[in-house]
Amino acid sequence: MAFDLKSISAKTVCAGLTAFALALSSTVAFAGDKLQYFTWSGYELPDFNKSFLAAHPDGVEASIFGDDDDAFTKVKAGFRPDIAHPCYDKVARWNKEGLLQPIDTKRIKNWDSIFPVFKNLPDLQAGDGKVWMVPWDWGNTSILYRTDLVENPEASWNLLWDKQYAGRMATIDAVHDTPVVAALLAGVNPFDMTPEQMDKVAEKLREQRPLLSNYTTDMTSVEQALASGQLVAAMTWNASATSLKKQGVPVEFMKPKEGMLTWACGFVMLKDAKNVDLAYDFINSRLETDSGKYLIEAYGYGSSTSSAFAAVPKEELEKLQLPSDPEVMLKTTIFTGPMKQNDDLAKMFEKVKAGG
Amino acid sequence: MSTLVATSAPEARSSQGFRVAMLLPGALVTLLLILFALGLVLFLAFRGNDGSLLGAGFTVANFVTVVSDPLYWTVTLRSLIIAALVTLATVVTAYPVAYYLAFHAGRRRGLLLFLVTLPFWTSYLLRVFAWKIVLAYNGVLNSALIESGIWSEPTLAFLNTPAAVVVTLAHAYAPFAILPIYVALDTIPKSLIEAASDLGARPFTSFRRIVLPNSMPGVLAAALVVFVPTVGDYVTPALVGGPASTMIGTLIQAQFGKANDWPFGAALSVAVMLVILCVVLVARFADRRFGSRT
Repeated sequence: MAFDLKSISAKTVCAGLTAFALALSSTVAFAGDKLQYFTWSGYELPDFNKSFLAAHPDGVEASIFGDDDDAFTKVKAGFRPDIAHPCYDKVARWNKEGLLQPIDTKRIKNWDSIFPVFKNLPDLQAGDGKVWMVPWDWGNTSILYRTDLVENPEASWNLLWDKQYAGRMATIDAVHDTPVVAALLAGVNPFDMTPEQMDKVAEKLREQRPLLSNYTTDMTSVEQALASGQLVAAMTWNASATSLKKQGVPVEFMKPKEGMLTWACGFVMLKDAKNVDLAYDFINSRLETDSGKYLIEAYGYGSSTSSAFAAVPKEELEKLQLPSDPEVMLKTTIFTGPMKQNDDLAKMFEKVKAGG
Repeated sequence: MSTLVATSAPEARSSQGFRVAMLLPGALVTLLLILFALGLVLFLAFRGNDGSLLGAGFTVANFVTVVSDPLYWTVTLRSLIIAALVTLATVVTAYPVAYYLAFHAGRRRGLLLFLVTLPFWTSYLLRVFAWKIVLAYNGVLNSALIESGIWSEPTLAFLNTPAAVVVTLAHAYAPFAILPIYVALDTIPKSLIEAASDLGARPFTSFRRIVLPNSMPGVLAAALVVFVPTVGDYVTPALVGGPASTMIGTLIQAQFGKANDWPFGAALSVAVMLVILCVVLVARFADRRFGSRT
């Protein structure tokens, strides 16, 4: 009797799943002539590519990821967008897997206005005037804290290990953020480490786990929790600082003495992209001054083009703590480059999070 | 007219054709979506991870790691405990609802059954976020407690705890428990209960000796339907759980995502399936021992 009910419900569920899968595959078939863009949540806004949408109304369909390691496995498993938006530290990994095709810089109109520090990144070079990734955005990772609830903290990443604030801190659930910081504090090179050094990093992460409210990439929840006072400090990106300051929440984006993390991300074209011309139009549209200016003013991230910076007033940039030249920023921060033990670190981080 | 002469043969053939047509979708679903997928998981579980999609070589190293690393035992145990608590909470709260539906709802039964399934009209994520709003630091529960003077300042004890996971899952799975228990209760012949009272049983005694034993198959079915999917749940702990409530589903998902080790993820899945199988066998034994009506 008991098992009859169960098998009936299992069958119904399966039938439902089949119907759902069929429905999904039919929508995918319809979407073939639109540009498929796979990106971080919040990066799909139409304001970033106005001219593209003017030329191709409704011409882009975005899928969202919360972390580019998850995005990598999804693409590896057969998801085929035309363009994706990973960060620099992952490019070599995507490339090694044979997922990318080179992008011809001659077809990128604003290529010359991209800061040389990004244009010359080693993992980007595909030779012959071609690149694996067109840099679009850069920014910082640091601690965002409530100035009224955390009084005069020492400017250090150690704040996220402070027992005083146990249960009221959160950190980013991504290999290129929290484990990198743990490595810095453990005195280990985050980008290349021996197994013994990795144990040290794991030890540091274990120390932090009981103090955290959660590990997350959902920045909206983190911002809400900081605004309500549930969290007093959290590891975030610039956009959260910009957004909470705009709302009038008393927060500060820390400049830790160990250095903020600086990252750069951009567009890669997938090997079997169906809409190559649309993809170039899209990248060109995103590199226009207006788009970069919007990125700076709305999110507080840096644009990869100097023309966008030139369009933003100086006071605005100062308020956002963004120098108009990323090279100035990189003198005091740690650039997130490719991590040799990315997979091992990811596994270790998952185990620590689960309590191991 | 000629068909009239040879009725039996084509009729038999057409009825067979009908049977095949009816069985085909089920067979396809079973073979393609369940058995093939299961076979793939099993195959993958015995592969080594070289970063490629299907792994390389054959090895039992994945299972050795699963068994020898205490972390996986801890997390599996944690998942089983959370799922057991969810099942207990769901069945205990669902029983009175099902009881009311079966014996006292009368003309309102249709409406009530509709209301029971109403939460399914919204996405599961929305329901989880609704609980986030209730349990949050400045959420409904905290505000109510402060307003009524029970607490002077909001507590962090609700959200990002294993308890939050239990409450959210118990709410989400309530209809899965209510419906089978309701069906079991509804099919109890009313004459049995009347006979019990004729023989002098008080309401509680007839509940204990007639209604409850006769509804046990429904209760066990409900428990199973709630328990099995909650063991592997990973969305709920990720959204309302916090670090102390990482469940095995979270770890499996991570192997297929960030950690990029599909063979190990498959091995973990197989291990969890075996554990669940053991629990189901125990439930089946309990069903035979306590659940049977004859």
